[in-house]
Amino acid sequence: MSYNYFLGCVIPGRLPFLEASARRTFEKIGIKVGDQAKCSCCPDPTGAAQLDHETFLALGARNLCLFEESNNNILSLCSGCTESLKMVKHILDNDDEKKNEINLKLKVIGKTYKGDIYIKHFAEVLHENMEKIKEKVEKPLKDLKVAGHPGCHYLRPSEIINWDDPLNPKTLDELIEAIGADPIEYDMKNDCCGNPVEKSDKEISLSMLESKLKSMKEAGADCIVCVCPACYQQFDFNQREINKNKNTDYNFPVFYITELIALALGIKTEDLGLNFHRIKVNEILQKIP
Amino acid sequence: MSKNLKRVMVIGGGIAGIQASLDLAERGIKVELIEKNACIGGRMAQLDKTFPTNDCSICILAPKLAECSRHPNITLHTLSEVKNLSGQPRNFNVKIFKKARYVKEDECINCGLCIEKCPMRVDDEFDMKLRKRRAIYIDYVQGVPSIMRIDRKNCLLFTKDACRICEKVCEREAIDFDQKDEELELNVGSIIVATGYDIFDPKTLGSLGYGRYPNVVTALEFERLICASGPLDGHLKRPSDKNDPKKLAFINCVGSRDIKNNPYCSSCCCMYTTKEAMIAYEHDNEIDTSIFYIDLRAAGKGFREYIQRGCDDYAIKYIKGKVAKILEDDQKNPLIVYEDITTSQVKQLKFDLVILATSMIPKKDAGNLAKILGIKINDFNFFKANSYQPQISSKEGIFLCGACREPMDIPSSVVDASGAAAKAAEIVMRG
Amino acid sequence: MQMVDFEFRKELIKDDFSLNYCYQCGTCSSSCPVAFITNGEYNPRKIIEQSLLGLKDLLLKDQKPNVWLCCTCQMCVEECPQNVFLTEIFERIKNKIVLLGEPYPETFKMQAKSIIENGLAIPLTQPIIRRRDQLGLPNVESADISELKKLLDATDFEKKIKILEESK
Repeated sequence: MSYNYFLGCVIPGRLPFLEASARRTFEKIGIKVGDQAKCSCCPDPTGAAQLDHETFLALGARNLCLFEESNNNILSLCSGCTESLKMVKHILDNDDEKKNEINLKLKVIGKTYKGDIYIKHFAEVLHENMEKIKEKVEKPLKDLKVAGHPGCHYLRPSEIINWDDPLNPKTLDELIEAIGADPIEYDMKNDCCGNPVEKSDKEISLSMLESKLKSMKEAGADCIVCVCPACYQQFDFNQREINKNKNTDYNFPVFYITELIALALGIKTEDLGLNFHRIKVNEILQKIP
Repeated sequence: MSKNLKRVMVIGGGIAGIQASLDLAERGIKVELIEKNACIGGRMAQLDKTFPTNDCSICILAPKLAECSRHPNITLHTLSEVKNLSGQPRNFNVKIFKKARYVKEDECINCGLCIEKCPMRVDDEFDMKLRKRRAIYIDYVQGVPSIMRIDRKNCLLFTKDACRICEKVCEREAIDFDQKDEELELNVGSIIVATGYDIFDPKTLGSLGYGRYPNVVTALEFERLICASGPLDGHLKRPSDKNDPKKLAFINCVGSRDIKNNPYCSSCCCMYTTKEAMIAYEHDNEIDTSIFYIDLRAAGKGFREYIQRGCDDYAIKYIKGKVAKILEDDQKNPLIVYEDITTSQVKQLKFDLVILATSMIPKKDAGNLAKILGIKINDFNFFKANSYQPQISSKEGIFLCGACREPMDIPSSVVDASGAAAKAAEIVMRG
Repeated sequence: MQMVDFEFRKELIKDDFSLNYCYQCGTCSSSCPVAFITNGEYNPRKIIEQSLLGLKDLLLKDQKPNVWLCCTCQMCVEECPQNVFLTEIFERIKNKIVLLGEPYPETFKMQAKSIIENGLAIPLTQPIIRRRDQLGLPNVESADISELKKLLDATDFEKKIKILEESK
């Protein structure tokens, strides 16, 4: 069974250039991924999903049904969507009573959740194809010190995500290594970027971001790499905010891992929309042969 | 035809196995003591002091080691492992695999000349890899039997067909590279398993930084660091910069009482962290120690008072709150993030050295030995003991004692060993 | 005075019982990045303690600690030595706050509204659609809003949120 993209809300609606890098990368390594029409918000596991459990399950299940109908597995471009959809699937697949309840709701729109597709985070699929990526690297990103930020929903809760080690994540760093860059160790690697708290308390959110940035700086990072649009926003949009308030000078370019892979695979920068980054990436681009 | 052999095999030469052997030998029963390492002594030999008396561990142990080696009723088989078991109670047939020592046991007088000249430097397992040993060595200074062994994996003769220096310098001509591994068969009436325990590897708990941060060590490493015969000759220094640590933190229940790792309580840590803090204080009165705990399980006689003494006489701070996260500052000082549950405040505290009280876990090869002996293991991979007579294993004629059946401290292991010895004797003494 | 509400406690425990296993060791608060930044004012262990005690008003009305500050990083869930699914219990508490019409952060409400109106938390705006074009990205065919509305009505979502507006 092939994959269709689950784009989510943030990427298509705010950061389409990240989507471009993902599509170009998957094309280049020869993995065909289709488009899935009519998806709604996953819903956001840090937001709307927290308001009503039943609605969370119903909305998530509807999205899963769409893929079941088109007979495709889900390739999600966002860690939050991945967690939500995996969580809904986990709950419904393990609780028949709940599944029947939700199917009763889905009936009003003529859908039934069966549970016969699976969900993968895009980086999980990239990691599975790491050898292919290595073969196709044209411009290894030598001497680039990358602070990988795996983020939370990419890993946890491990019982549901069922992927990388939730406390000692390795996969993102392995992908960074695969394109010739140097994944650095830093103290706060496993910590949350702070984005979700922004909804309740901006100050706390920025403090969380700042302690991450501090730790990355101490470790000598050139740039930050993430695999979730929420983290991406937090890093790319809010470094300046911190500099303004705290008299610091953080200026790390922020990449989606697909952007770095695309660059290493020799995909043209114009095709990636790197100019849409708030923190300019030119210095990093100059390091690439 | 079944003859009853007045002979017992004890597997494991730690404090439990030693005590069981001595008890049996004193009753006139022949003992075959099987030890995997080159010397007997086990974990207790690695400890600096023992609680609740704070006696020197090796000082208590050494006379027993000596007694074991010279007791006419005890035959010591070092570098040996059990490979097969057949027969039945009162007449077991055991196959033992004995690795070659490459040193003649009757000739070596432990003069140490060979050690001085051996060119190899290898991690010393007895000292928790905190220093190097040579390829010819004795496990530890007071080790019994008090003779050298050559470690085949690292000896240049075996790896590169070169060297032979030890052979040249040995005045007793004790080196014998022609020794071969042997298989021997023993007939015994009953068996005592006393194989002890391993230490949980805290590397798997990424958030504590063990393995990443030099100044985060395990409790057993700390025992070696502070021990007079250890790698620092008893002058406690922290690994990163060899400075005297002034602020110590102990973290209890590392890997224990944890469904994701070891659900059981390791039963000794509340006490031994207090002991280690006391020893540290005795070395240097300026040392200021905090012990982070979930609950203080000080259930033995005099144990609660011991912890009270820790508070009153050794200025130990007991902080209720399990530590899940350690960071490090640019001076390599560990920073502990914890909640002080009495105030609900979450804080970060800087320490010079952090010691992890890692859980006691079953021996890595416990499952394998269980298969060979035909005994059961329990849910946690310790040997399964009878609920009401815990020295009884799942198989008639085979008994258990010490930490191989569940985590326990030294006094309990000794009691357990005497119990197992009595049970094992019962079988061989019966007509 | 805080009253113990056994019914509330029972509802939080629900049928998975993981809450019952908490032995108050503090691993969660030690691993929680928000607890760290707020010096324990936000404190997951305390939320669990109060849940175990059934301190309904403290959790739902006073919101002390404020459960909305959970960043859902799931570190506590991952580190908990007793496998307590803390974030699931927090979700139940949040659901109850919403249902009771107690105040909660405006941004959550706005996101919910956007989903009701657009099917998406972030609607596709004209400039973004142009930018997508520029990048050679395909059109996003959004969910049918009337279909979504039917589903959301089936779960009473709007009503659950409206309760809140009425109470104001």
